[in-house]
Amino acid sequence: MSTVLILAPVIISSWPAIAAAAAGAASALGFTVKQAAQEALQQDKKTHDTIENVELELANSEVLAQSLATDQRIVLTKGSTQIVVERDARGRCKVCASGKGLSKTQLEQTAEQFTQKLTQCFIYDKVMRELKSKSFQVVNEEVMQDESIRIHVRRWVD
Amino acid sequence: MAQHDVEITISRTGDVKVHVKGAQGKACLEYAKWLTKVIGKVKDQQMTSEFYEPEVKARIDLHQDLRVKDDET
Repeated sequence: MSTVLILAPVIISSWPAIAAAAAGAASALGFTVKQAAQEALQQDKKTHDTIENVELELANSEVLAQSLATDQRIVLTKGSTQIVVERDARGRCKVCASGKGLSKTQLEQTAEQFTQKLTQCFIYDKVMRELKSKSFQVVNEEVMQDESIRIHVRRWVD
Repeated sequence: MAQHDVEITISRTGDVKVHVKGAQGKACLEYAKWLTKVIGKVKDQQMTSEFYEPEVKARIDLHQDLRVKDDET
């Protein structure tokens, strides 16, 4: 054995990569991507006063601005729960959970769970892409009982 | 040829544990540096006994591969 590193993830990427991770997290947690994002948001604004909502900012995140980029927002739904992932004015990635009949605590838990899954999906995609670019071969890959993902890769060096 | 193994565990919260095996000294540090750049910030790092063993080769050059690829394209 040589070295063991513990790393805290930093999410700095363009919107498409973050949106892909959000879609992956949504799929894993049973959310579906709502196509009519604008419509959903307008509807949400109308009923904003009656529905509880919670906002969470992804720590160490930055969505890189793209020229003329629009629609940097993804709306996900599961039953009465709605999650909106978007780039805020400061360029940070923000997750907002809302839902009828749900308490603030429940929404905080939902937003937290989604944020963690989004981070895991983002890091997985990025790590796999980098490993492949450096000619690593995947020996084994598994999802553990605690929902962590373990990847074992190998590389031969002259 | 030397076999370098890397075990990466992405926790449910997104924290990442990286275990580099089979690479010694500078080679090990090259991997650590590269993966830190890819993933994020170092929270903790522990060197194990293999790190201090004499190196068979001075360095595995991750950049060298990239240059070869660039030349090919």
